[in-house]
Amino acid sequence: MVRNISYLLILSILLFSFNAYAKGIYLKPAKFIAEVFDNDPPKAKKIWVKKELKAGIKSILGHDLAAIRIRYWDDGSKTAWILEEIGRDKLITVGFVVKEKKIAQVNVLIFRESRGWEIKYPFFTDQFKQATLVENNKLDRKIDGISGATLSVNALTRLAQLALYLDSQVNKKLN
Amino acid sequence: MFSLIQKWHKNFGIISALFVIFLAASGLMLNHSQQLKLNTNYIQTEWLLDLYQINPANEPISFQSDNTWASQVGERLYFNEVEVGKEIESIVGFLKINDIYVLAYDGQITLLTQAGEIVEHLTSAVGVPAGMSAIGVGDEANLIIKAAHGYYLVNLDDLQWNEFDHLEALWSQSSSIPEDLKANLLRLYRGKGLTIERVMLDFHSGRIVGEWGVYIVDFIAILFLILAGSGLWMWWERR
Repeated sequence: MVRNISYLLILSILLFSFNAYAKGIYLKPAKFIAEVFDNDPPKAKKIWVKKELKAGIKSILGHDLAAIRIRYWDDGSKTAWILEEIGRDKLITVGFVVKEKKIAQVNVLIFRESRGWEIKYPFFTDQFKQATLVENNKLDRKIDGISGATLSVNALTRLAQLALYLDSQVNKKLN
Repeated sequence: MFSLIQKWHKNFGIISALFVIFLAASGLMLNHSQQLKLNTNYIQTEWLLDLYQINPANEPISFQSDNTWASQVGERLYFNEVEVGKEIESIVGFLKINDIYVLAYDGQITLLTQAGEIVEHLTSAVGVPAGMSAIGVGDEANLIIKAAHGYYLVNLDDLQWNEFDHLEALWSQSSSIPEDLKANLLRLYRGKGLTIERVMLDFHSGRIVGEWGVYIVDFIAILFLILAGSGLWMWWERR
């Protein structure tokens, strides 16, 4: 009996601990940028969300972006983006690195929701590596979901599409 | 014995019927909360908002620039009467530089147009200094920031953050908010403070009437168990 109660107590503590560490800042945005560019990030550039871009963004997110100017970092070989989207009720902040029109890196930086935080793990984010855009700004692959984290998975997938789309737009301007 | 069980089964069944309907209906709705937009639609009924005590913990804090106001109400941030931020801890200052409004809070800066359109959110990722405690306007209409490690002269267009030991500025200071704006902000705050989903969850669990509500729902659940048991027993006996 005492042993059973002890097991229950340990299980409760473990469950509480998982929940306590589930949401929060996993990687500060400034640190993400510093790490991506080996502690020597280029100056942030900006892209204005004008008519054509606005329509493209809306087709991906299903709504307008909250801001009309987006900053990004470009060292000539890759671009880095810090983007936000609502999962269920709150914003999820995600860092993306795009290289040669493909996603090179994805990091969930800040997770504010109470559920769906499992999307931070590499077993999930690694699915996006080397993903690129195909017709209608869709990803070239199917992203496997996580039970109980559908909305967070969808939000991250939309942001990956957005990062690739924005990268294509800034590169289009340069060419 | 059989007729006694049958009689009580019938009585419990009648008592439970309304609860079965309510719990099944509310459960179905909660299962499809997103599709029904229960988590994004808000209660406007005053007595329910009063019951949940939906009010900001502190008095609103406001800053004025020209005839425009930025206010923190509870954990929300408003540009005039437009909500521009959620879950914020502390507003730092608000001012206007070259037709762009600068709103500083929690180590972040939001730039807005006159119409209240958000130009962009600036965070530490683009260099917003840590421990920002005041913002002001310098002699050349530049943004000046007082932060934990010194003073910064900021070029908002190129995002240059030049650090100094000390800088003079016309610092943004809080002002007392006009009563009509305050009343409107409090109404807006309350109107977006309680989702239908929250109330539905509390009805479903009984918590809407406090701790005793949970025990009442527990009692109803026990009635359901008795009904299932007595129903099975009667079926077995009549076989």
